[in-house]
Amino acid sequence: MRRTANRVSDTDKCMLTVLHAGWYPPEYNKRTKRINLQGVYMINLLWSVFFVMLLSGCGWNGTPTRSGTDFIPLTSIEITADYSTIARGTSAKLTVKGNHAGLITGDIINPDQVTWVTSQPGVADFKTSGIPNRVSGLTPGTTILTATVGSVKSTYTLAVSSATVTAVTVTPVAPSVPNGLTQQFAATGTFSDGTTQILTDDVTWASSLLGVATISDTYGSKGLAQTQTVSVTPTKISATFGIVSGTADMTVTPAALKSIAITPASPSILTLSAGKLTAVGTYTDNTTSDITSQVTWSSSDTSVATISGGTATVLKSGSTTIGASLGTVSQSTSLKATGGNLTGITITPATQTLVKKDAVATTGRISATGTFSNGSSRDITGAVTWTAADTSLATAAVASGTLAWVTAVAVTPKAVPTKVTAASGSLSATATVAVTAPLLQSIAFSTTALNPTIGTSAPIAVNATFDDGTTQDVTPFSTWTSNDLTKATVAAGGLGSERVTGVGAGTTTLSATYGGKTVLAPATITVTSRNLLSLTLSPGNVSIGNKALFPVTANYSDVTVDVTNEPTASWSIDTPNVAVLADSVNQPGQVVGVDTGTAMLTVTFGGKSQTAKITVTGP
Amino acid sequence: MKQTFRTLIALCLPLLLCGQVQAQHSGPYVGALLGGNALVDAKSTDSRGDFALTFKPALMGSAVLGWDFEPGNSMGEGRVELEYSHRSNSLDRAKFSEGSFAGEGSMTADSLLFNFFGVVHNGSRWSPYAGVGIGVARVEASGLQVSGYSMAGGSSFVFAYQVGAGVDVALTNRLNLDLGYRYFGSSRPKFTEVAGSKFELDYSNHSAVLGLRVGF
Repeated sequence: MRRTANRVSDTDKCMLTVLHAGWYPPEYNKRTKRINLQGVYMINLLWSVFFVMLLSGCGWNGTPTRSGTDFIPLTSIEITADYSTIARGTSAKLTVKGNHAGLITGDIINPDQVTWVTSQPGVADFKTSGIPNRVSGLTPGTTILTATVGSVKSTYTLAVSSATVTAVTVTPVAPSVPNGLTQQFAATGTFSDGTTQILTDDVTWASSLLGVATISDTYGSKGLAQTQTVSVTPTKISATFGIVSGTADMTVTPAALKSIAITPASPSILTLSAGKLTAVGTYTDNTTSDITSQVTWSSSDTSVATISGGTATVLKSGSTTIGASLGTVSQSTSLKATGGNLTGITITPATQTLVKKDAVATTGRISATGTFSNGSSRDITGAVTWTAADTSLATAAVASGTLAWVTAVAVTPKAVPTKVTAASGSLSATATVAVTAPLLQSIAFSTTALNPTIGTSAPIAVNATFDDGTTQDVTPFSTWTSNDLTKATVAAGGLGSERVTGVGAGTTTLSATYGGKTVLAPATITVTSRNLLSLTLSPGNVSIGNKALFPVTANYSDVTVDVTNEPTASWSIDTPNVAVLADSVNQPGQVVGVDTGTAMLTVTFGGKSQTAKITVTGP
Repeated sequence: MKQTFRTLIALCLPLLLCGQVQAQHSGPYVGALLGGNALVDAKSTDSRGDFALTFKPALMGSAVLGWDFEPGNSMGEGRVELEYSHRSNSLDRAKFSEGSFAGEGSMTADSLLFNFFGVVHNGSRWSPYAGVGIGVARVEASGLQVSGYSMAGGSSFVFAYQVGAGVDVALTNRLNLDLGYRYFGSSRPKFTEVAGSKFELDYSNHSAVLGLRVGF
């Protein structure tokens, strides 16, 4: 059958429609892109073939776990025993090894598959219940023991002597065993004919102090002591054969450390930040204890991160192995430093003017923002080293977390401000600080009317005005007075702010003093009682190394209030390897991404809780 | 295996004598393929654990009945076909936890697959192709033995598939030579051990084939 090249038969169309159904993107022009599509299909198919070949390889290369003994028949067996001669009253355990056509030899035959017969039952016999392969010597003489496995048989000649035991020795003689562990004892008999024989399964075992340690006298576990409690007084372990006994003193010592677990496992921590690791020890009695402060911490690459007392300080991107060891027990985990390397520092504000006049010494908040190689930027105020060029003029220090202050000490020379430097490694930034000496004229509240709900708070600031016309925020250093503490109180609200908290319904006034001045007009605080119904916290995204705000609102019966900055709001994140709180005190609701993944952010306020999913994306 | 390669090379030599480009065939065709195949080492599993069976390479053969699509049509170019294949490989070694033992017996797969191959007609007589096929196979374990002792036997119907690639060489208007590779696999066939318990194994196979297709 021959056809022209441009004709397409109905049959072909039908077949190809079925075969190609769904292969074309809808927007594709099938006619004009035919050749290209065909090439794409072919490339895809060739790749598929290639990958199939690659994946299939040469087949399974694993380790067989199945025995072939049931395919290759057993052709002979061999009986082995610790002794060919045993003393009367003692016993011996017999073992049967199989030979499968000379192809598989030496495999131990399950005792349950072996049938035992003795030619002289009066001399030796199999009398131990539950242990068919243990033969006991009854009277002096010789017997032939026959083992049968299927149709295969083998014999073993066993002699029973008339020797009598003269001494029993128990080993170990005086073990100290950590609580929670077991100790296997062995009993060895010395006989009248000078021979010795292991009698562990023939003696009767006992412990003098069962509260300290017990010992098994059951076949299968005879002589196995189990510690019970720590005791300085040893328990006497005795092994008795007839009228002869041997003893050992077993002391139970405090439980020994068995293992260490580091949490969180495989932590991810942002560069220029610190993360807390915990070491939990598990002891031989299966108790656990926080041993963070007892272990010796180590970091395989201290240029990436250092660690002390469980606090890991991350210096640059990379990974390092964190170790925790105590005695002979150790554990390690890999720490991943995320967030890029620091490439620049910016101080805010770059310049500021403070006041030093008599007893008045103002302060100004100062912060450092880092830019990182992954394109992120974040507050590193608490991670840099702050240095004042002349501490006789001004000082700079971190108060807590991401909150740092510059404090005026003395007036700077005219037109020559002093400098404050923030440094990390080889990078630094400088800000200028001028200290002047104007006269404090007055102070005033930023607002004179606040309307908090009971249990919530509202920010308030105190601004000082000087005789040169400048003003400064002196909120954190003012003294506050509430006329009625049953209605409103004042407390720190993070980042040096102060917040007025409603305590009881009603109205009161608030006053403040600073530098010998009292606010010109008190603030009127009107507190309302409301019923908190729920909280609203929305999920969101944040990229690695950057910060994002997750505001929370309180839904009252008649109004919705943003309570993100409430000091009583409690914030937590379940997966610190993915995201952490920027600074739960100074920057509530702010979340910094640590590594890609999801984490759950939980906020609790006024007895209500709300959780939202945080998705951390790449930088 | 060496003999198989020699045979393949000998069969390919006539390709050097091929003439000019021939017009592309469309419509029905029949064909036959012959080649060498190698079963990959098979992970076998029963209630007692895993063990491995390795097989010797062997010849394989196929017969196909298909349809070449119209050249230059707007829906793409290629062919569909129904393929019957026969592969049989002797058991070489059986590996258990105690070691590796000589094996006997054979593993035979008879399959019926519906194949689709996309073909790139690039103006020369060499037309590369690649495709896939799905169908069923009957896999039979015949007298499998370990060092002369019976191990297992039986047969099993399983889902089968293959992917393949190669080149078509247009010898005449209606005659095509096919030089290709096939990866053939199936779901795990189950067989019966001498003691009566069941075991199943991975069945997958690499084949190099040389075939001839005649169009009508």
